[in-house]
Amino acid sequence: MLHCEPPLGEGIFPRFPMKPIFCLTAAASLLCWGLLPSLRADNPPQKIALTDFPAAAVDEVVVPVPSEIFAVLDKLGNPNWKGQLRDGKVRTPEDRARTALLLGNVIAQGFVAVEAEDDERVKELGRQVLTLAEAINVRKSVIARSKSITDKADQRDWKGVRAEFDGALQDVRGAMQELNDQDLSQLVSLGGWLRGTEVLTSIVQGGFAKDGTELLHQPELVSYFDRCIGSMGKRLRKNPLIVSVREVLRKIEPIVNESGDKITPAQVRAIHDLTHGVNQQIVEGSNGN
Amino acid sequence: MNTRRSDRALLRFMQYVVIALALDVCSPRLRATVDDALSFAYEAALPYYKQGFSIRKDAWGGDLGVKEKKAVSSQLFKGNDYWFLMATDVKGASLSVHIYDDKGNLVDAESWQKGRFAGVRVSPKATGTFFAIVQILKSPEDRTPWALVYGYK
Repeated sequence: MLHCEPPLGEGIFPRFPMKPIFCLTAAASLLCWGLLPSLRADNPPQKIALTDFPAAAVDEVVVPVPSEIFAVLDKLGNPNWKGQLRDGKVRTPEDRARTALLLGNVIAQGFVAVEAEDDERVKELGRQVLTLAEAINVRKSVIARSKSITDKADQRDWKGVRAEFDGALQDVRGAMQELNDQDLSQLVSLGGWLRGTEVLTSIVQGGFAKDGTELLHQPELVSYFDRCIGSMGKRLRKNPLIVSVREVLRKIEPIVNESGDKITPAQVRAIHDLTHGVNQQIVEGSNGN
Repeated sequence: MNTRRSDRALLRFMQYVVIALALDVCSPRLRATVDDALSFAYEAALPYYKQGFSIRKDAWGGDLGVKEKKAVSSQLFKGNDYWFLMATDVKGASLSVHIYDDKGNLVDAESWQKGRFAGVRVSPKATGTFFAIVQILKSPEDRTPWALVYGYK
């Protein structure tokens, strides 16, 4: 482990161009004079007992945004992203829970379209985000994002489009939290995660097994989603679609508890089939919603 | 009589103003909020943003007493590089952040600490749950607001 100064640059950290020998001398002098209390004060233990942190001392999990996973996938190679694109427009459901899940699903689909560099599909998905956001009263929060998605897709600025989809997800969640709609906000994240996991498992099965499987090791995240559903209002918890989603999470959880190298191809297929099935329910409302 | 009463009211009002101002000046804690700490955390993240790290809008925050620790759990992915940046707006405070894996092993790739700012980089060797352990090392306040953001690339 190396303790060091923050990188040189603008802002709070001024640039001090110094030759290495001078740097070493200066650092040694400062240490002798006790002018580096911060470095001395902080000597973290190499190992800690996590059990020392009771539940109250552990903050809730922050759900990764899709681009965190896509950033890794970028480095793995060049999967057939076009093959992962889902056809057709989605219809706005009347059920708000399903709409929230679908919104997350569509945003995740946006990432796939970006990877496939399909500008028309990206623009279409940007419009769908706006329509679905309107259905759950958070349209205002994504108007600018939707426009930026279209503009950047026209310019084929894929990195920019990805940032806008990430931003749309976070803005929608932020707007819902302002409306005290924490449950729907979590469902948006969950919808994105379910679609992202379906795509990831499909890619892993398509020949990116070793490093791709590693990405499936997400034990705390799956358990967190399960806890979120558990703490939702009774009506939402009893929603048939939410019941299905929870069942899927509970089937997936023991698999993703394994470290990446222990997840077998059959288990990857099982996760894929489970997430594919529930995503179909989200898109088509086949459970009667 | 009326004049005396209004004088007294004016005097009382002035006392309130003076007390309010004194409290505002003497107790930065009243002004210190997690939102301010968050602004500082984003400021600390700026150099990394310029290096190509995507900085998450979601953040953690709260307030802690001196030497009090908190664990923040996060799902990190092997193949990404992460910077966690922590800050407070309390002058004279210093804090630390370090990353541990789910077995409690320190996994910092590098870390720094500079007064009210601290940062740690981690390149996970495996995908999984990690814990950022945040701590207020010293502070002139009983409770110190803090915020933590992270970026990845």
